Amino acid sequence: MLEAIRNTWRHRDLIVSFTLRDIKARYKQTGLGVTWAIVQPLSMMVVFTLVFSVFAKVPSDGLPYPIFAYSGLIFWTFFANSLTGGTLAMVANSPLIRKIYFPRETLLVSVLLASTFDLGIALLLFAAMFLYYKVALTITVLWMFPLLALQMLLTLGVTGLSSAAHVNYRDIGHALPLLTQLWMFATPVAYPIRVIPEWLKPLYMLNPMAPIIDGYRRAFLLGQAPDLPALAVSAAITVALSALALAVFKRAELTFADVI
Amino acid sequence: MAQPVIELNNVSKRYRLRRGWHVKSIRDEVERLAKRLIMRGAPTRDDFWALKDVTFALEKGEVLGLVGRNGAGKSTLLKILSHVTVPTTGSFVARGRLGALIEIGAGFHPELTGRENVFLNGSIMGMSRREVQEKFDRIVAFAEIERFIDTPIKHYSSGQQMRLGFSVAAHVDPEILLIDEILAVGDASFQAKCLNKLAELKEDDKTIILVSHNLSNITDYAKRVVWLDGGSVRMIGESNEVVDAYLEHVTSDGVTGEAKSTESTFDPDRDLAIGEVVVRNRDEVVQDRFDRGETVLIDVSYAARRAMPGAVFVVSIQDLHGYPLGGIATDPDSMKVNAAVEQGVLRLKLDPILFTKGAYTLSVHAMDPVTKRYYDIRRRAARILVDGHRATSREASGHIHYPHQWEHIR
Repeated sequence: MLEAIRNTWRHRDLIVSFTLRDIKARYKQTGLGVTWAIVQPLSMMVVFTLVFSVFAKVPSDGLPYPIFAYSGLIFWTFFANSLTGGTLAMVANSPLIRKIYFPRETLLVSVLLASTFDLGIALLLFAAMFLYYKVALTITVLWMFPLLALQMLLTLGVTGLSSAAHVNYRDIGHALPLLTQLWMFATPVAYPIRVIPEWLKPLYMLNPMAPIIDGYRRAFLLGQAPDLPALAVSAAITVALSALALAVFKRAELTFADVI
Repeated sequence: MAQPVIELNNVSKRYRLRRGWHVKSIRDEVERLAKRLIMRGAPTRDDFWALKDVTFALEKGEVLGLVGRNGAGKSTLLKILSHVTVPTTGSFVARGRLGALIEIGAGFHPELTGRENVFLNGSIMGMSRREVQEKFDRIVAFAEIERFIDTPIKHYSSGQQMRLGFSVAAHVDPEILLIDEILAVGDASFQAKCLNKLAELKEDDKTIILVSHNLSNITDYAKRVVWLDGGSVRMIGESNEVVDAYLEHVTSDGVTGEAKSTESTFDPDRDLAIGEVVVRNRDEVVQDRFDRGETVLIDVSYAARRAMPGAVFVVSIQDLHGYPLGGIATDPDSMKVNAAVEQGVLRLKLDPILFTKGAYTLSVHAMDPVTKRYYDIRRRAARILVDGHRATSREASGHIHYPHQWEHIR
């Protein structure tokens, strides 16, 4: 694991180049440019507000539903986009992989960093919403950083497995949008965690994204620390998953060029 | 002696034809598993060995040429050397930073500008961004793209893209350099630049592996050559020796053997059929190796069903790549061939032969000069190897050694 981190650091310039490519290429020849980074979570927020708040009256912990939903949506969008991008990264770069050697995991890290850029843009709107809804920020907002770190490690773990699998089985690419969608509904993005029935909760909290998204909401909107025991479980799962992913990915990487 | 920079020991590479070359789906995989359970132990698919037991080593500063036909395993070997893939069995060690002038520009993104792509491609090839920054002006100047450097690369011509790609790769400054078809890039003047760059790298004591279909490039730069054939090393050694043997092998392919009976080569359904084509020296002894200036006799046998006084015979000469170097026809020489029912032998005398060192193939066809209809074509019917102490090498490029004199006139 340490060796992997060191190796990634050694190739930081390559990661920077890939990240810049991903960000620049994404918004070239678009009218809205980086505004697209906001459009996605914003439109989801509008839809969710209509469906879950206006039609279905889902509770939102006493907060205005739009900011409640948006607080989950921006971080979920970050996760979903880097998950999709990372899974497809190897195949998307197959001309490169077939011809040039470079550590393949740099592609995963760059996808993640490029999505982080989008997250930054989306956070600007988040800040504006704080002013509009007059929600006070407290010091607990600093929890954002460990939560982000955990989420990013989880993303790398999942994409390490899914991208390697996608090289061999293109089925992954087809199943991905569906799985991401299902995963979102198994995560407290559109609704608060307390609507989950008690009997289901132990199972529900095994989803490592659940305490993370819930954690952001507590940190930003409720002035609370995350649910630490649940977060510890999430962290344990994440670390185990990433270690497995690293081993699998480094092994699979050797034959990417042959099968891609 | 210092450790070799590159070492390959019994390197073999297997591709699985059915599995590897198609994208698998989980359904296929389940099917395959089921089959394997039923027919236990039986090999379930065709394996293809792209490389078999390849062993060689390179010292620092050595230039090694790699020759072989398409499909001989050159690309697979380059992939292994550049770490893109791993050998199935055997071991491979490379000591030092490796650069590859293969598939240059593979990392280009069409939407990005030339400048952005230089940085991107540079870091893919292992340079740091600072290093690219330092070399940036030289890279752009070498590629001759200064004016367009801030234009998205999708607006570049393919030649411009390749030049920029080559230029980035050439400035990586590796210790080991893999070069595939250096002359495939750009126009003549850019090619000259590439060759100069190659000479420069060689002088800098870089270890170089050079793949080219242009064999004179190989003999010019490489001291040793590996000849790959069907995935195995067919021959390894001093470059002229290996290239000559390779040439002989390539050109002898499809050439009518002298031993073959003449009758059997005629096609009875044709009005006129060309049979054996035999090359002889001035003493009418069958021979295919000549020195420059010698006399070559080319005997073309034919058979015709009926008399065809108008038939024109053409002997054309090609270089190794099949590029035509000239055709010699019977009709402008008003040599009337009275093709009769019985067989005949037509003799073409080349005196002297002016070709530079190398291998040449002869093709013969017979046609009706009015309708331009071919009676028969024999491609690569025979070959001539030009070799010997008078034969000039192809340094000045080109195949013909003109009779000439130099003098100072002023």
